[in-house]
This record gives sequence, C-alpha cells and structure tokens, in this order.
Amino acid sequence: MRKEENMDRERFATLLDAYGADFRRWAAETRAGAAAFAVQDPEAAALLAEARKFDAVLDSAREVAPPSPELADRILAFAPRVVRPAFDRRAMLALAACAVFGVVLGYGGGLMAPAPLEDDTYFSMAFEAPVAFEDEG
Amino acid sequence: MIDPDAELVRNAGAGDQRAAEALVRRHLPKMVGVARRMLNDGAEAEDVAQEVFLRVWREAPRWKPGQAKFETWMHRVALNLCYDRLRRRREKSDPDAGVAVADTRPLASEEWLARQRAAKVHAALAELPERQRAAIALVHFDEMSNIAAAEILEISVEALESLLARGRRALKAALADVAQDLLGGAEGAP
Repeated sequence: MRKEENMDRERFATLLDAYGADFRRWAAETRAGAAAFAVQDPEAAALLAEARKFDAVLDSAREVAPPSPELADRILAFAPRVVRPAFDRRAMLALAACAVFGVVLGYGGGLMAPAPLEDDTYFSMAFEAPVAFEDEG
Repeated sequence: MIDPDAELVRNAGAGDQRAAEALVRRHLPKMVGVARRMLNDGAEAEDVAQEVFLRVWREAPRWKPGQAKFETWMHRVALNLCYDRLRRRREKSDPDAGVAVADTRPLASEEWLARQRAAKVHAALAELPERQRAAIALVHFDEMSNIAAAEILEISVEALESLLARGRRALKAALADVAQDLLGGAEGAP
C-alpha cells in the first residue's frame, strides 16, 4: 500500500497547477490528503474552484471526431493472417489414417485366407494324363 | 507487470483476426485522439493512427512482453510520428497546416459556440511546445496516470508535472477570452 503524502498549501498548489481540479488525475498517494486539505484550507478551496473553471474550458475540446469506420477496415486489411500450408494438418492426418487402415486390412486379409496345402502333389498331378484314358485307346 | 494487451497482441501476431479487431477497437480511438490533439488535423491524425497499426502488425509476431506495456509503446510510436510531421511542417513552413477550415454550415447558436470554443482550445494547444502538448493530451484528455504518461514521454514524474504546469499556465493565458465567454455565459444562465 502506498504511503499517503503530507499536503501543504505549496504542494497542493503545485499539483493543482499540473493536474487540475479532478483528483482522479492526481497520483493515488496524494488524492485523499488533497481532498481533505481543500476542505480545511479556504485558500486551497479557492484555488481548486479556479482550477475547476479552467478544466471546463479545456474540456470544450474533449470530444474529437471518432475514427471513420473505413479507417478500421483499412487497418485490418493489413493485419497478419494465418498462412495455410498446401496440405493442411487435418488432410495429412486423414491420409495417414487411410494408409494405416490399408496396411491393417492387408495383413488381416492375409490371416483370414485358407492356409496353403503343404503337400504339393496336386500341382504335379494336374499335368499328368490319367492312366485310365490310355487303357481305353 | 501485467500487460492487458499481451494475449491479444500474441494472438493477433499469429493471425487471429478477432484479436486484431479487438486491438483496433481498444486502441484506435486513443491513437486518433492523441494525434488529433498533437496535429490539430483530423485527416493527418487518421494517417498517423494507420501508420501506428501497420507497425503494430509488423511487431506483433515477435512482441515479447516485459519492458514496456504495449499501449505505452503504441503511444510512443504515435507521438514520434506526430513529432516527425510537425518537424516537416516547420521545414516546409506551411502556414495552413494544422489550421482547421471554418465550417460554414448553419448551426444552432449553442452548437456553433461550442464548436468555436473547441476550435480555440485546439488552436491554443497547437501553439504549445510539443512536449507540453503531449503531456496535456495524455494526462488531461486521455486521463492517463502520471506514471504511465511519464513512461510514454520517457521522463520522470517530476518532469511531467513541470511540463503539465507550464502547459496549463500558457493555455490559461491564451484562453482567457474563452473562459470569460464560457463562464460568463454559465454564470449568467438562469
């Protein structure tokens, strides 16, 4: 917590010269002391009233025209944008998933196929002429 | 030090359009306001604000929170751009630069008077030395704390108070007729 600054007439006048009559513009550690001093010191109260009048004069120029909507659009047109890669991340993941699925399918299909016969005599027999036909001729 | 803009700046720098829009909404009016008070010219103030944001977009991707708040940095950029323009005006010695063109449209008398008063205050501000003008723009009009304003101007709080006091005294002298007009009217009102 900040330490409250002791206020006297000279310090009050100096800060009033700088910040004007609105204590919200004063440093936090001076506000309460300044407000109390203005109540108890008639000269400080008179200075404060004078500063308040001058603040009102300055406040004649408080309103400035708001920025045009086109200005915001122009500015936002140059804002950084995300540069998307030629293959985005989701497409790459989908491709990888397809590849894995294909491998699994191929491997699983192989397991489900009937096991090859160990005996290969049916190959050799397929090309041999049946003995019975020769007997008929 | 917590920078309320840090996350927005990081996201805007990464291409988040919503973050960029939020930054513009939050800071564009302040940038235009401070430039308007420094330059006394609405069109030039918008040019300055646009330039500030182009620099924001350039810096945002590599912005590292730490030394100064982002808003402080933006104000410094805006003020430096204003100082550059004011210097160029002096070099060109263009007498019309920064002089508001009189509005010839018919207005209700109260509105007309208010505009006249505002124009006189802007003109008196434009006559102040640049640093005094900047101090008053930041503290009186932008309602910044003395610490934040001193940081933007890169001076001590005591030096800021001195700039403010000298600026306000000069304005008080220049605007005595406005005060008379404004307060005479107010005091005479029923």
